[in-house]
This record gives sequence, C-alpha cells and structure tokens, in this order.
Amino acid sequence: MKKHILKYSLHIVLALVGIITILPFAWMILSSFKSNEEISALHQTLLPKTFTLENYVSLQSNFDFLRYFANSVLIAVIVTVLVVYISCLCGFVLSKYKFRGRNLIFGFVMMTMMVPWSVTIISRYTMFMKAGLQNTYLSLILPVMVSGFGIFMMKQDISALPDELLEAARIDGANEFRIFHQIVLPMSKNSISAIAIFQFLWVWEDYLWPYLMIDSDKKQLLAVGLTMFNGRYATDYGGLFAATAISIVPVIVVYTIFQKRFVAGVAAGSVKG
Amino acid sequence: MWRKVLGICLAMSMMLLLSACGSEETATYKGEIDTNPDKGLEVMGEHVTYDPNHLVNDGKPVELEWWLWDAPDLFGSIAEEYEKIHPNVTIHIVNNPWDGFWTKLPLALQKGKKGPTLFNVHNSYQHLLLTYMAPYDIDVKDLEQDFFTAKSHEIDGKIYYIDFGIMTGAIYYNKDMWAAAGLTEEDIPKTWEDFREVAKKLTIQENGKLIQAGFNYNGEFENLMQSISYQYGSTLFDESGTKPTITQEGQIKAVQMMLDFYDKDQVGDKDFGTDSAQSFGQGQSAMVYKWGHFYGYMNTNYPSIPYGTFEVPVVDEDPFAYDRYNGESTPGINKNASPEQLEAAQDFIRFYLANAEKQKSLCMNYSLFPANNALREDEDLLKNPAIQAVSEHISDYIWPGPMPATLGDNLKIAGQDIMYNGKSIEKTLKTAEDIIKVDLSNMDFVSSESLYHKYSQHK
Repeated sequence: MKKHILKYSLHIVLALVGIITILPFAWMILSSFKSNEEISALHQTLLPKTFTLENYVSLQSNFDFLRYFANSVLIAVIVTVLVVYISCLCGFVLSKYKFRGRNLIFGFVMMTMMVPWSVTIISRYTMFMKAGLQNTYLSLILPVMVSGFGIFMMKQDISALPDELLEAARIDGANEFRIFHQIVLPMSKNSISAIAIFQFLWVWEDYLWPYLMIDSDKKQLLAVGLTMFNGRYATDYGGLFAATAISIVPVIVVYTIFQKRFVAGVAAGSVKG
Repeated sequence: MWRKVLGICLAMSMMLLLSACGSEETATYKGEIDTNPDKGLEVMGEHVTYDPNHLVNDGKPVELEWWLWDAPDLFGSIAEEYEKIHPNVTIHIVNNPWDGFWTKLPLALQKGKKGPTLFNVHNSYQHLLLTYMAPYDIDVKDLEQDFFTAKSHEIDGKIYYIDFGIMTGAIYYNKDMWAAAGLTEEDIPKTWEDFREVAKKLTIQENGKLIQAGFNYNGEFENLMQSISYQYGSTLFDESGTKPTITQEGQIKAVQMMLDFYDKDQVGDKDFGTDSAQSFGQGQSAMVYKWGHFYGYMNTNYPSIPYGTFEVPVVDEDPFAYDRYNGESTPGINKNASPEQLEAAQDFIRFYLANAEKQKSLCMNYSLFPANNALREDEDLLKNPAIQAVSEHISDYIWPGPMPATLGDNLKIAGQDIMYNGKSIEKTLKTAEDIIKVDLSNMDFVSSESLYHKYSQHK
C-alpha cells in the first residue's frame, strides 16, 4: 500500500514537472495564433480568443524566412554529419589503437572543452577574416567540425567494445577501414544519436558566430533572422512566436529520429571508461 | 556493393558541398554603365542642393552596401530612387538586428571595400564609429542653414552625420478615460500644477486599491527626471561639458515632484507594474510620459487604444527648456571604402539630404519632428500627434549631446533606490554622480548643452 502511494505521488510530481516544463512551450505555440494586442493583453488566456494565421502568413515579409530556414538546415546537417563521423574516427583511434602520446592527445582534446567559447572568439574572428572566409559557409563549418565533446563521448563508447570482436574481424581478413565502418559504427548507434542531437541543436540555435561571419542576406541563418523581430523600441511577438514555432520543427524531427537511442547513448558516454 | 557506392556518393557530395560553402561571391561585379550625364531632372534642395545631371564614377559600375537595423523597405526606397538616376550605382541594403548591430559594424568597417560603405548611425554609438567615418563633402554652413540641429554635430569644423528628425518626450493620454472623467480638450494642462489636478481626476481607487492610475511614469524615471530638471534650469553637465551635475536644486526638485505624484497625490504607484507603456496599452493608466517612439509601440501592440498627445507640462510659463531631445541620424560613410565607393557614397548623401520628401517619409515612420527646416510646417507631419505636440516650442528643447549610456543607466538605478528602497534623494543622486564622473573621465565626451540658445540662463 505504502509502495503504491509513493509510486502515485511520484507520478503526480513528475506529471506536474512535465506540465510546468511544457506550459511555456504550449503558450508560445498557441500565442502564435493570437494578435499582438491579445498577446500583450492584461487578461491572458491560453487559447486564442480570436484565432489568426496572420503571424504565419506575414512571416516572409519580415525577412526571407524560407531561405534562412533552408540555410540553417543545410549548415546544421553538414556540421552534424561531419562531427559525428570525425568524432567516431577519433574515438576509435584513441580507444583501440595503442601508441605513444595517446593519452596526451586525449588530454589535449579534453582541454579544448575547458576553454570558454567567448575567450577564443576575437582571435578566431581575426583568423577567419585574414583567411578571407567571411561571408562563406566554410567559416561556420570549420570551427565546429571537430568536437571535443564528441570525441570524448565516442572514445568512451568505443572503448567498451570487446577487443576480441575487432581481432576476430582482422583474422577474417577485414581491413581497418572495414572494421570501422561495418563493426564500430553500427555498434555505436546510441552514442552517435546523442551526439547528433546535441550537435544539431547547438548549430541550430547558434547566433553570434553566424551573425558575425555572414553578411549576405541570401546566406544568413534562421537564428539570426529571428532576432529581426526584436526592434529597437518594440517586439513583434506574434511574428516571433510563429517563426520560432516553425523553427523548432527540425529539432523535433531530429530528436524523434534519434530519441530511442539518445538516453542510452548519453549514459554510455558518461559511465564507460 | 550498394553500400560502397552510397558511401562514395555521400563522401563526394560532402566534398562538393564543402567546396561550395567556401566559395565567396567573388565574381567580378558587372553592373550597368551610365553614359548619359544629362538626366533632364531639376536641382533639388534649398542650401544643400543636389544636381542629378552628372555621372557618378564616370558612369562606371560601382557597388555599395548600406547597413541598417530597421525599415529596409523605407531606406531601400531612397536607394532605389537614387539608382534610377544613376543606374551604374548599385546599393545593397543589408538589414541587421539592433541587438548585434553595434558589435558587428565596427568590425565590418575595417574590411575596406568589402565592408559597408554606408551605415546608419545612432549618436549614442558615435564614440565607436567616429574613427571609421569620412566627413560629409558638403559645406557645413549649407547644412546648418537647412537642418536646425546640424551645428550640434560639428566636430573640428567637419560633419560626419546629422539628424533627419528629432524625438522627445510628451504626455500620452487615453481618450476614453479622459472623456469618462468629464475632461475635454480645454483641460489639457500647461503646467505641472494643472497636470496634477487632471491626474487626480483620472485616478480611480476602489477600497484603497488603485484601479486606474491617473499618471504612471514607472520605467521612465530617468527620462522624466531629466525633463523636469531642465525646466528648472539645471543642466546635466558643468560648463566644461565633461562633468555631470545631477545634484543641483533642479534635479532634487524634479525627483521630489515625481515622488509627490505617487505619495501625496496618489495618482499612481511604484508597484502598479514596472512598465508604464504596457500599463497604458492594457488600459490601466490614463496618462504616461513617453518619447515619440511610443507611437510605433502602440501601433504594433495596442492599435485599438484611442489616445492623444500633448506637450510635456512645465514648471512655469518660461522654462529654461521644455525637455531634452535626441536625433535620428543620417548615414555615415566608411572612410576605408574604395575611392569609387566613396565618390558614390558622398554623392548619395548629398541626394539624401537634399531630398525633403524622403526625409518626410522617414519622419512619418518614426514620428519624428523633422530636422529639415523646409518640413517644419508640413501639414501631413503635423497631423501626427507626437510631432504636433512638440511643434510649437521645438526650439526650446535642448540636446545634451551623444550621451554615453552611463548617465541614463545610473539615473535609472538611482530612481530605483529612491522609489523602492526609500533612500535619500540627495545621497543617491550624489552616488550616481560620482559613478558617472568616473565613467566619463575615461571617455572623450563633451556635452552639447552650451550650444542651446538659452544656455546662459541655466542655474
């Protein structure tokens, strides 16, 4: 009996926490169907009193929403694919190959995670400017295509694979390229999913670096476009909510694809060593 | 087998994508060539004139970028009109978010011809931009004759930007509440004494609880305080223009008057919401003190609220100044641009300043009193309540100069300390003054207060 009460109490607490977490999100989605006057009204309602699609219809008038959206998808996908592949490759080498300086290299990778991003931004900006990479997508891809976090995660995950399995493959005649692609990668799906979700999200919401590097309207990303709704004196909340509601769709899609393996992947990366 | 093919295809497409990502738009710009110097158009402007009948850059193609933070269509229409006259000049409008604009612009201005040639300026960021700016190639006297605020922007005999319009404070009132209190247009107060009586009539309390504020200045402490203290004749800076003087009698009286609105008259309350703009929009406050941009705020957020505007009341019939103003600036020119770009940019600026119609549309959009003397009596502009309210005494408004943020920020903190923490007015203003003094000592700031025509009358 006592066990049941505890169980139900826990469920109630979790349900409440869930509602509190999701409420602002739901409020934002529902508010995207309200007029600005209703959004800023004194008496707030969760559901729109007067339903309007105007915020969605007029999205394109503020900036080239569809182009920004497509640009963001392109960059996020490229970076995610690169980070996942490079992290797996480095993780495989650092966990399964024994060579002098291996720990030193891994320590160096770990150190890169400890340097705050804001410390390097000025030198990075100067470097990219001198290299003539401003206003190119390469400037958005290069700085993030090697991820210390990703390498750490994959090293932890791949090191748990039995060496005997790889040895057996070698005896059967598989070369290292084949072992990596046909044994290591398929067996690391959980961690790959976790990295993919994290990386996609980080690239998707990154604002300052894309804003500094990209000048052209045709190349700009959605995270920068969203700030256009914040004017100097007033904010178009309806437009902002509508744009944000659409902009989170890819994140949800990526999470839905990888979610089954996500938790397992995070847990694997954090406990194995 | 198919996996290998797929893998190779994926790798190749990734390589292709990456190489495409790296290709900057490096193709040589091939614009139109203009061979006709005689456009058959009339000379524009009064003192600052623009004769369109000439070739820019010898008619050879030239490309400029113009960076803005707002209204790309409106500013773009000026560029389009210019491009029609000079088809060899292409002006690309690049709209930026306000938040990041001042981080990115100084960096971009170092890029020479690859950076923006033209960029919109806000005078509070003058200290960041001046080192990158080229002076206007226009006679300073001509500018001063056409634009009544131009003199205040003169730096060592040169002008780098001026105002196309100015903004200041006014009282916004809810017309429905005004009528419900039995008030008419005749009751619009001219002095703070009358204003307090009107505010009392507009206040509604139920069981000791404030239901409708007659006057709400929450969130505007520092602006209203500066306005009233100018009326008393107390300037914000000393005669050298470099040291703050915010502990004078005028400032103390101004703060005391503001406290009295809430404590003695009980026409509002410091706890009646922190944002008077929102409170006005939500129909909870009958009168608020706001600057001209409030017109745009109301149009965006509360278009159905009926409101009117009147000039800020004064402490006596002949105040030192009614209020301070701030200008919205014309574009700056990047001195690091190429000679071809600089020539086109200078020509464009002359076109911009001689084009009163375009300045009018900008002033309409932002509810600004026009800085161009030719537009002073413009009927369309005077229909805007925010412009109309200040038009009568516009010459009696003072500009303290491109004020560093430290003044407003510290006055805001002082206001919170006085209103919410009950600290003494004198001590709190003194603390703010000391902090501002230290901040200003590290800046190259000189106030423009001494240019005000009644400056000799200050106390």
